[in-house]
Amino acid sequence: MRVLSRPWWTVGAPLALVMLLGVSALAQGPTYGLGRTPTPEELRAWDISVGPTGEELPPGSGIAAEGARIYRIRCAGCHGRNLEGGRAPRRAPRLVKTEPGRDVDPWDAGRILPYRSPYATTVWDYINRGMPLYQEGTLTADQVYALTAFLLFRNDVIAEDMVLDAESLPQIEMPNRDGWAPLPDWKPGSPRLPGYPF
Amino acid sequence: MVDRYYMNYNDYGHLRRDPVRAALGYQIGPKSVITRPSGGQQLAGPGFYEVSGLAWSGGGAISRVEVSTDAGRSWNEAEIQGTAHRMAHTRFRLAWNWDGQETQLMSRCTDEVGQVQPSPSQVAEHFEGAPDPTYSVPGLDNTIQPWRVAGDGSVHNARA
Repeated sequence: MRVLSRPWWTVGAPLALVMLLGVSALAQGPTYGLGRTPTPEELRAWDISVGPTGEELPPGSGIAAEGARIYRIRCAGCHGRNLEGGRAPRRAPRLVKTEPGRDVDPWDAGRILPYRSPYATTVWDYINRGMPLYQEGTLTADQVYALTAFLLFRNDVIAEDMVLDAESLPQIEMPNRDGWAPLPDWKPGSPRLPGYPF
Repeated sequence: MVDRYYMNYNDYGHLRRDPVRAALGYQIGPKSVITRPSGGQQLAGPGFYEVSGLAWSGGGAISRVEVSTDAGRSWNEAEIQGTAHRMAHTRFRLAWNWDGQETQLMSRCTDEVGQVQPSPSQVAEHFEGAPDPTYSVPGLDNTIQPWRVAGDGSVHNARA
């Protein structure tokens, strides 16, 4: 749930309670006369996370064929023409599972983001925030949708003609959707792992 | 700016199939390191030194730091300097009189949750039932960092 994307009183009583507790804890802490409150513009520039619901996704759309064209121009130089990953010194990761066409356990297929990620939105988020390396932010939303479609198609996750947009992307069922350990429900004062003294 | 795991790329990198590795890969336990004397530094000769370092923990504030100047055989209570804040580096120090003999310096800390910084052997004992000083611990590594002080006063990473 993004705190900043909407007025705080619309996000439900439990979160409001958490926020109030957080604010009162902050109010009791010492201040050091350092820093300043970020401006709304600065917060908007940082606030780029796209979560599994896809509620932050911008308008736009793309398909795999268009993504393949963009990939050749913007990505293949580092990730390889066939998504096989780069060689030294540009060791960009492999982007396709090792045995395309076969159902491979996502944990055995290498660390392939568009195959191992439990949510398709994460693939979009990563391309959007991090690629191409040193030219981040130069891809349009349409291009990120198209590249996401291309990578998911090449990993046998979606059909070649599927149109990706803010509606369809969060509905994709990734092969690793339930294949990872749930994260602990930590509260302040909890040990990092129950029964583990270190 | 979120109030829970958001499953963007930053969370993706921490996902594991095994719940133990997932939990220990997300939060750092109590960890400390002696910054002076430390690897690469040189002691002028036998005599008085202030051993100083930093401690921190994902569990909250540091409540205690101990320092060993005899390779872990005995432990001395170090002084925590200033106020130990939650999730913040905490400076500690201990007065030490070096006799000129080769030894190892170590620090271990305890946090407000009661978690204690372990040696790799202790973690091996917990998970495998037998001590192993070369054990590769699951998740974020908060094990004790030993520095070897050679007879000539040079300081080295004792694990290398």
